[in-house]
Amino acid sequence: MTQTMENQSSSAKELAMLGQIKSILLKDDRAEIDAIKKTLYRKEELAKEVSPIVEERVQYIKDNFRKEFGKPVDRIVEIKLEESKEQLLNVIYPVLGQMIRKFVNYQFQLLKDRIDSQVSSVFSSRGILGQIKSKIFGISSSDMVLSDLDKPIIEEVYVIQRDSGLLLGSFSRKVTVDKDMIAGMLTAIKSFVEDAFQREKQELELIEYGNYKILIQNFFSYYVSVAVSGSLSTKERDMISEKLLEFAENKMPDNLQLIDTELQNQISEGLEAFFNKDIFED
Amino acid sequence: MVSTKVMLTGSFGVGKTSLFKQFLFSEFSERYLTTIGVKVDKKVIEVDDDQLNILLWDVAGEVSLDKVPHSYFLKSSGIIYVFDLTRPLTYKNMISDIEYIENKVPGVKVKIVGNKKDLLTEEQLEEVKSKLPIPADIFTSAKTGENVELLFMSLARKILGKEE
Ligand SMILES: Nc1nc2c(ncn2[C@@H]2O[C@H](COP(=O)(O)OP(=O)(O)OP(=O)(O)O)[C@@H](O)[C@H]2O)c(=O)[nH]1
Ligand SMILES: [Mg+2]
Repeated sequence: MTQTMENQSSSAKELAMLGQIKSILLKDDRAEIDAIKKTLYRKEELAKEVSPIVEERVQYIKDNFRKEFGKPVDRIVEIKLEESKEQLLNVIYPVLGQMIRKFVNYQFQLLKDRIDSQVSSVFSSRGILGQIKSKIFGISSSDMVLSDLDKPIIEEVYVIQRDSGLLLGSFSRKVTVDKDMIAGMLTAIKSFVEDAFQREKQELELIEYGNYKILIQNFFSYYVSVAVSGSLSTKERDMISEKLLEFAENKMPDNLQLIDTELQNQISEGLEAFFNKDIFED
Repeated sequence: MVSTKVMLTGSFGVGKTSLFKQFLFSEFSERYLTTIGVKVDKKVIEVDDDQLNILLWDVAGEVSLDKVPHSYFLKSSGIIYVFDLTRPLTYKNMISDIEYIENKVPGVKVKIVGNKKDLLTEEQLEEVKSKLPIPADIFTSAKTGENVELLFMSLARKILGKEE
């Protein structure tokens, strides 16, 4: 009996102590929770906290809207609603492309930073990266050194409608054989390869032909093909790709339904402005 | 000037390449060199006051159209379906072939062409006509050039919306 009473009183004591400890330990938290509760329940208090943040964001968007979203929005609005989905996609494609590129570049930068921080400073990060790159892309380091000497030249650029193979515009450094026919045959090859290796949505991206490399960049209802002479590093390939996206965003008309001389001249002038210079100089 | 894609299709050996060459270069050869893949060439023609830049795709013939890479058909404004008047096998699948084409390229202007007319007498031609699953639009000879120009001109008019 005494035993039990003693037990009871000791557990009561423990409980009391526990309560004390709790209140000491959680004192700060409790004060904080109370403060948050107060703020949440009292609208005007909440507004005081949140408004500046919201206002700041709104102001930022207001100030930077044109810069951030101006171009695509302008062009999207320009397109009348009843017009085809195709036109809309022609506008969105390069923008999407840019976003993906930026994302990939960012990821690469992160990777590079990570490698840099892990590798001891005895090795230059450039050398290491170079070696990694050449392992991944199958180019030997010496090739990469050599490629600095033999600079690539963009010889010809063709903008070609998908499937029909009709030439939408072109740029070239020298007079070439009939461009309409080249555009048609290129498209036939591309269609054939893509049909023959019917893998999920895979598209032909590079044809090597003698001293030429023909790069192909796909957009929604057209594709651009670039003939390059000289050797081409991954970095330079990337620069071309970037330029093409920029070109598509800024110079390509959205409506490609009717292909006439006027449209072809317009696109060719755009190409001239973009590619009649050395795009590889930093 | 407007550019447009026109495709030649039909069974092998019916004379697609021969029509292509007759139209483009006014030449003909008895030798049969089967087409591998596809050949693209072009010709600018005048229709009334308009010019039309025709990109002509001469595609290798197959026994059935679904063997032809399907993207060759896409975005064609005109398709010339050729059969050989002397070989019933080349027009026996006409109905399903035309259906296939119209499915692949909705709204495309199609010309159904009976070729090698020079090998038939008037009576023989009438007999073949009565056996065709769908009436042909025109009968040509790539050898003599008969109706070849007319075929392409009338297709061009159709593409430009100048004729039904
Ligand atoms: N007599 C005569 N022979 C013709 C005519 N058109 C074509 N030929 C002959 O028929 C054969 C086949 O002609 P092609 O033009 O190569 O046939 P194709 O349809 O292009 O054949 P593929 O490329 O294999 O699909 C050749 O020997 C031609 O000379 C024609 O109008 N009259
Ligand atoms: Mg042929």
